[in-house]
Amino acid sequence: MRASSLLSECLAVLSKDLTAELRSRVALNAVGLFGLTTLIAVAYQIGPYRIQEQDRPFLLAALLWIILFFAATSGLSRTFVKEEDAHTAKTLRLAARPLAVFGGKLLFNLILLAALFVFIVPLYCALMGYAVAGVPGLVAVLAAGVCGLAGTSTLVAAIIARASGSNTLFAILSVPLVLPLLVMLIQGTRAAAGAPDFAVVLPALRGIVSLTGVTVVTSIFLFPVVWHD
Amino acid sequence: MTRDQVRTTLHWLLGIWLLAVIAAAFFYAPTARSFKGESARIVFFHVPQAWVAVLAFCVNLIASLRFLRRRELLDDARAAAAARLGLAFSVLATVTGSIFANVMWNSFWNWDPREVSIVILLVIYAAYFALRQAVADDERRAALSAAYAVLAFVTMPFLVFVVPRIYWSLHPDTIISSSGAIKSQMDPRMLKVLIASLVGFTGLFVWLYTLEVRVARVLSARRAQEV
Amino acid sequence: MRGEPVPKRQQRPGENLPWKPRKALETLHAASLASRSPRLGPEALACSREVSVVSFAIVSEVSVEFSGVSKRFGARTALAAVSGRLEPRRVLIVAGPNGAGKSTLLNIIAGVLRPSRGAVAYERDGEVLPRPRWFECLGMAAPDMAVYEELSALENLRFFARVRGVRRSADELRDLLDRLGLPAREHGRATGTYSSGMRQRVKLAQAVLHEPPVLLLDEPSSNLDEAGHRLVAELVAAFRTKAAVAVATNDPREVTWGDARVELAL
Repeated sequence: MRASSLLSECLAVLSKDLTAELRSRVALNAVGLFGLTTLIAVAYQIGPYRIQEQDRPFLLAALLWIILFFAATSGLSRTFVKEEDAHTAKTLRLAARPLAVFGGKLLFNLILLAALFVFIVPLYCALMGYAVAGVPGLVAVLAAGVCGLAGTSTLVAAIIARASGSNTLFAILSVPLVLPLLVMLIQGTRAAAGAPDFAVVLPALRGIVSLTGVTVVTSIFLFPVVWHD
Repeated sequence: MTRDQVRTTLHWLLGIWLLAVIAAAFFYAPTARSFKGESARIVFFHVPQAWVAVLAFCVNLIASLRFLRRRELLDDARAAAAARLGLAFSVLATVTGSIFANVMWNSFWNWDPREVSIVILLVIYAAYFALRQAVADDERRAALSAAYAVLAFVTMPFLVFVVPRIYWSLHPDTIISSSGAIKSQMDPRMLKVLIASLVGFTGLFVWLYTLEVRVARVLSARRAQEV
Repeated sequence: MRGEPVPKRQQRPGENLPWKPRKALETLHAASLASRSPRLGPEALACSREVSVVSFAIVSEVSVEFSGVSKRFGARTALAAVSGRLEPRRVLIVAGPNGAGKSTLLNIIAGVLRPSRGAVAYERDGEVLPRPRWFECLGMAAPDMAVYEELSALENLRFFARVRGVRRSADELRDLLDRLGLPAREHGRATGTYSSGMRQRVKLAQAVLHEPPVLLLDEPSSNLDEAGHRLVAELVAAFRTKAAVAVATNDPREVTWGDARVELAL
């Protein structure tokens, strides 16, 4: 009989991943550096002054999510690919329940993305002169984006780790799934930046939350199939 | 009649039917008023192709779910066959849609949400095959592609139904309105040809699909003998 | 059970011979440990618990039957119709040359790989276990399994205990590592800095910390020195008193541990 609950097993997987990551810092560096490099390239070439006033809402929202998504894809698959590469996947497979592994890895991706967003978004707003009218709305959209991106990518990361493990494959597989999410996130960001009223982000938020919910629930059912041969 | 004889008869019937549809599309059906010149005739080909692309997606989903339940490699062969046909038909639908867009609005691509959703379907199929290519083991390939297909299917409604409803679309109104009744804007002759074309293209899909599945069955029987 | 002629061996003093009758085995076992105990340190001696390689609390008996198991990888046949049975209190040896499919067979028994043909069935106390539950009764150590390099041996074991839902205090884990020959000063270092022999001992520790009723060992003495080899022999001997053990090996010394044997050919 087990002396622990699913939650404590998830948290064990999460804390193991966090400890290992903090000691080696591979994913953190990759994600942070990709984000920073892209941001600096964009800010240097475009900056706050090169966009026409009427184009600013569209371009600034889209550019932000391009930078965030690009940086995220460099690190989101690492949590599973690392296990396969280091040959610890089989040990973990024989020790933990599939749901505990999925929960722990999902939480890890959430934390990684949240760290990326907290790092990049304020820098972006400062460097690009992005004046956001509705900050609570933007924060809500960003939080939903973190959950949505992590939710959609975790199962795809597990799939590619069992395939070739290449990041290119990860990008190819996640693009069609992440596209509706990105469309709604950009629309929500634009709405939040444009008006201080929280209600303007609600349509986008509804779409994002429902898509995230559906994807995460489906992933929970599909994960054991992907994780075990 | 033997099975082969039935099959051959049906194949000939399908061929004749499709030829009749093509002829009717150009000579029997009238042109629609709101469309430029003869361009409305593309609807007899474009709509069935898009319909078959979505049908193939559904067949792929069902085969994937069956594989996940029963773990028989034949279901995986079925899913792959459906996906291959889906890819072909979504390419055709995109191309015919682009040609129509060029005639009507003078540009091949307009970033219309409906246009984008058929391209996303195409990208999903392409990604599906990229995944299959990357896995060597038969059973693992089957399990992973089935999982991806189910995940993709779950995300699709958001692209196809939610996003186009939110955003204004250039795309001509759909034939079936939200209440479910068939809009009577279409000329009855056009409607007849359209439905005939739908039946013909579905028949084409069924024929190609069953052909691929029969080949897969023979291959797996031979492999089973070797083990 | 096949009756294989057991070759005579030189019996070194204090060495455990697995085919001896149970009572004599336990006596020998305790004697060998008593002679080793000064190495464990004062806190272990002060402890009033029974000292053995693994303290036994295996409560259920699990038997595994595999019948007609075949595995194909593409065009290559790795296994062809192999059958056998793992029973409690028996050691099954899976023997064969390199490339014969020993690891593949163990992976199929563990449920990590699906056979192309044939079936594997787990039975616990009369009830058939479904595949998702097999890993709960299993302990496995194999060359293609690793432990986490960024974590220390103790952190690794603590993680595996937590994730298996098994309560083990830090002292118990340190004790286990000690008994498997990993000195105390190494417990806190990242396993990435370990030698291959030390890593093998940590692998064995994660395989046994939850006292599984089925133990699968794939080349357990690889990377180990003479002392390590003896430890593995003691481990197998200790487990065979209550659990079902399968060992895949090429080593002629290890082959003699078995009550039953499955011979694989290329």
